Amino acid sequence: MQNISFSIAADLLKNKAIFIYGLLLAVLGWGMFLIESQPEKTILALLQITLIVVPLMTSIFATIYYYNSAEFIQLLLIQPLKRRSIIWGIFAGLSSGFVLSFLVGIGLPLLLFYPTTASLHLILSGTFLSVIFTGLALLVSTHQQDKARSIGFVLLLWIFFTFIFDGILLWAMYQLADYPIEQSILFGTFLNPVSVARTLVVMQTEAAALLGLSGAIFKDFFGSLKGSFIAMLILIIWGILPYLFVKRKFLTRDF
Amino acid sequence: MISIQNISKKYGAQQVLNKVNLEFSGGQSIALIGPNGSGKTTLIKSILGLVLADQGQINVQNQDISLGPDYRKIIGYMPQLSKFPEQMKVGQLFSLIKKIRRDIAQNEYDLSLYNDFGIAKMEGKSLGALSGGMKQQVSAALAFLFRPKIIILDEPTAGLDPISNSILKHKVNEARAQNCLLITTSHILNDLEEMCNHVVYLMDGKIVLNEEMKFIAETTGEANLNKMVIKFLQTGKIAKCKI
Repeated sequence: MQNISFSIAADLLKNKAIFIYGLLLAVLGWGMFLIESQPEKTILALLQITLIVVPLMTSIFATIYYYNSAEFIQLLLIQPLKRRSIIWGIFAGLSSGFVLSFLVGIGLPLLLFYPTTASLHLILSGTFLSVIFTGLALLVSTHQQDKARSIGFVLLLWIFFTFIFDGILLWAMYQLADYPIEQSILFGTFLNPVSVARTLVVMQTEAAALLGLSGAIFKDFFGSLKGSFIAMLILIIWGILPYLFVKRKFLTRDF
Repeated sequence: MISIQNISKKYGAQQVLNKVNLEFSGGQSIALIGPNGSGKTTLIKSILGLVLADQGQINVQNQDISLGPDYRKIIGYMPQLSKFPEQMKVGQLFSLIKKIRRDIAQNEYDLSLYNDFGIAKMEGKSLGALSGGMKQQVSAALAFLFRPKIIILDEPTAGLDPISNSILKHKVNEARAQNCLLITTSHILNDLEEMCNHVVYLMDGKIVLNEEMKFIAETTGEANLNKMVIKFLQTGKIAKCKI
């Protein structure tokens, strides 16, 4: 039954949208290194790109793909295939397509021009974010019949995680400054995969100012080594959790 | 071959299927008819496992279909509106489905509809570029490709030209003669008349008629399925009392 997952993944890699996404990342990734002579700066620029572009593109593309392949999914459903392997095929295929695009576009230039632990962590972050936001997009798409609404919702999620979340955290900290709230704020940071991904990379660089509030708390609490281990663990959980809900819904819904 | 026991399905507040019980066996060609929204497609989709019934059980060849997807190996399905991935080519579609159905060897394919509809000529075209009727042809060829024992056709003749229509009818009758079970829904009763030997009439999710076509014709004295059904439904209760 893994066979069908592979078929879907192979079919996806031929998809134009994923190709264009990879091309966009490649222009940014390779281009940055070619115009900027200081790789320490380039990695930070690529970090920003990864944190903003990867979640946005993967979640939008994944949502559109899911709705556009409604007929295809139906065709698969009437074959003697388990629903479980169909949804796994879609998730695995989409994620691996995005991860591959990211690795070629951003990962490869990083390894070639700036092979450091920071680069390695950035590659890990981008990979995790690709999987996480594919899962989130499918989570929205499987629970919502209307494509336009789903895209809107996915955009909101992206805005929330990239821009609003840290703002809320900062606001909460100011409001509750008189209380010992570090622990709760720390748990709060776990709730945002984007800041966890950012923390994971920035902890490896000298640019502590870019940590952001959640990152600063994180580093302060765990220190670099333990911090990056825990950050990775959280990202793995973020990668798995949405998919479990996607699977549950896909197995019990009508087509 | 198919045994449907007490199936019920609700969409929101609407009861689409209401305790449906049916038994179908090989050699039967069922005309599944009823007004729009009577639950025909939902019933078919429940058999296929696309729709999960709220209550009841469906067995295909004595196997509960909720236990696994393998029962679909013997089912061929032609959906109501043949929708396919737009950018996929006809040839790609066939090779993908063949790849999924590795259980059937290449020399066992039933290519008669594939050849009769001239699908080889469409292979290079993308499915989005096909007309409605051509999509139906592709869909019919796929439904029969793996020599299924159960063939389910949802509005098969709606978009087909007269020649393709008669090719499909011929195929259906041939399959019935080979002891396959066929279930066809349509609003074009003339087509059903030529393909079916059993009538199931659904209304508001309930079965109001489930009889051999021959029996209905005899009781009503009509030759035309349309008139038969109307007359039988009007006098149905009385006729049943007499027997």
